[in-house]
Amino acid sequence: MLTQIHIFFILLCENYNNIMNNYHSISRQEWEKALSHLINNYHIYAPVPWGETQDYERIDDDSISDIIYNRPKPATPLKTFFLPIRENVVNTEKSDKKRIIMGIPSCDLSGINIFDEMYLDDAFVDPTYKKKREDSILIGTDCHTTQENCHCTTYGIKPYPMKNHDLTLSLSGDTIYLQTHSAKGETLIEEIEKITTLQDPTENEIQEIVDTREKVEEELNTKNRDLPNYRVTGDLINSSEDEIWKKYSETCVSCGACATICPTCTCFLLLEKPGFEKVRHLDACQYPGFEKVAAGEDPLEELYKRFRNRYMCKYVWKPKKFESIACTGCGRCIEACIGNINKNELFLELANK
Amino acid sequence: MKGDNIYEPIKAKVLEVIDESPTIKSFVLEPERQFYFKTGQFIEVALDGIGEAPFTPSSSPLVTNQLEVTVMKTGYVTEKMHQMKGGETVGIRGPFGRGYPLEKLYDKEVLVLGGGCGFAPLRSLLYNLEAEQEKVQKVTFCYGSKNPQECIYEPYINELRQYKKFEVMRTVDEADETWTEEVGVATVLLDKIDVNIDNSVAVVVGPPIMMKFSVQKLLEMGYTDQKIYLSMEKNMSCAVGKCGHCMMGEYFVCKDGPVFRYDEIKDKPDIWK
Repeated sequence: MLTQIHIFFILLCENYNNIMNNYHSISRQEWEKALSHLINNYHIYAPVPWGETQDYERIDDDSISDIIYNRPKPATPLKTFFLPIRENVVNTEKSDKKRIIMGIPSCDLSGINIFDEMYLDDAFVDPTYKKKREDSILIGTDCHTTQENCHCTTYGIKPYPMKNHDLTLSLSGDTIYLQTHSAKGETLIEEIEKITTLQDPTENEIQEIVDTREKVEEELNTKNRDLPNYRVTGDLINSSEDEIWKKYSETCVSCGACATICPTCTCFLLLEKPGFEKVRHLDACQYPGFEKVAAGEDPLEELYKRFRNRYMCKYVWKPKKFESIACTGCGRCIEACIGNINKNELFLELANK
Repeated sequence: MKGDNIYEPIKAKVLEVIDESPTIKSFVLEPERQFYFKTGQFIEVALDGIGEAPFTPSSSPLVTNQLEVTVMKTGYVTEKMHQMKGGETVGIRGPFGRGYPLEKLYDKEVLVLGGGCGFAPLRSLLYNLEAEQEKVQKVTFCYGSKNPQECIYEPYINELRQYKKFEVMRTVDEADETWTEEVGVATVLLDKIDVNIDNSVAVVVGPPIMMKFSVQKLLEMGYTDQKIYLSMEKNMSCAVGKCGHCMMGEYFVCKDGPVFRYDEIKDKPDIWK
């Protein structure tokens, strides 16, 4: 039987393990050498410059040095790896290699929670999604900088990986720090150790990582201190009148960019392909006809209702049904909107009424 | 479902196509293996390379080697279905969702109210109640349709009228010289029924406008929210609670429904659209 003292020591040891034993360090040069080897066995995706922004690209020997570290965030969310724009879900594509996805910000890792809850639901496991999840090694990244619309901390997400990642990566100076979080991550570390030598970082080095995390978190908290949190936002949306939705959707053109670019928008449409196959297309409740039935009824016929629907779904309905939050505060929907609609301005207006 | 893939249909042969009305046809399907469903659950029927649409079987859930869907020509897929002659192969996925709460109907005077093609899923329920007659007090079936030509399942109506525990009343919006029953919208029948409301449960299926006014009327008559069940028509695409098309508030109609108790959904937005 475990006494309280035993439990205390176990917790202490586990804590120690978490803090010290799962950290490794390596020079950037050696890391790039390791990646060059890993490319033979994996498809590796990482953020690289894309004009003024950045996005995930499949990495080859020539682009290893272009990889962006610790600077949020790729233009497209992580979800596109698991729910691509289009895929055959009956006659599925077989990949010869597993994949490593690097440079994933915490907001996008948290965005996977809602997908796991919905797509890996015990009653109906989505086999295509499950396989993609199993065959991916996720390397999360600490955010060392923030972007204008980043507001993850408003919804309880830290600007460093919290869940769903196998490894965390942090670049400081010319040193890469890796922290393992899963068996998959440990296996990858073992593979890297066959290629090069990993160091054990000092306590001071680890403290520096922790300090940077806290600094960025504080910066986000300060910047977004007026924004209502997730639950309050839901209450505000739920009790709001139509007027504000009509006002903010005046410049909406139903392009669906907000939903497409959203790390937590999960909707799709199935289309038939001869041979009783099915092709899944990314879909969005912002498109006219999304809920229209054959007989003609359409609860979302009016644009402002579609516009409001997306926020009701994220902040009111999904929270009633699922544990996972359905907005991670990445701010992409604000950046992607060609109508310059800023949801946070809308929420602030609701909060200040 | 075939294997582990929720998106892959099993095949079913179209054995027979029955003309029910100028706009409604029934399709007798023979699945490649035994097919079990509970009354009120729905299936997805796929026409190869054309499209897939949700239908609640209109046949008895007690029959497992064949099933029937009754389809009104309203959209792209249903129009293509209406072109089928028999002998074709379709795909079916399912069954999905929550059907009628049979156990809540036991020992009750069951009021079944159908409008138009809403009779289709209700026929499956009536078959089920017919097989379990000893378990219910009585069944009052009220059916409303546009005109006599659109009244479906004439032979089954006659069959039901043979049973002591079943009372069948019909109305049409527009009568002709052949029509001998009631005239008016479906709710006019509710003024004529003889049901002990305190011991009754109502099941309503039909076009949204018909369900809306029927629920209003039932509430006026003294039915409580908890005594009214509705089968909701939504745009189910995946049928497994993922694609989002059938969301009604926090519900996925495909998974949480399609049959709901009125109090579960009355506050959700635009339920009659």
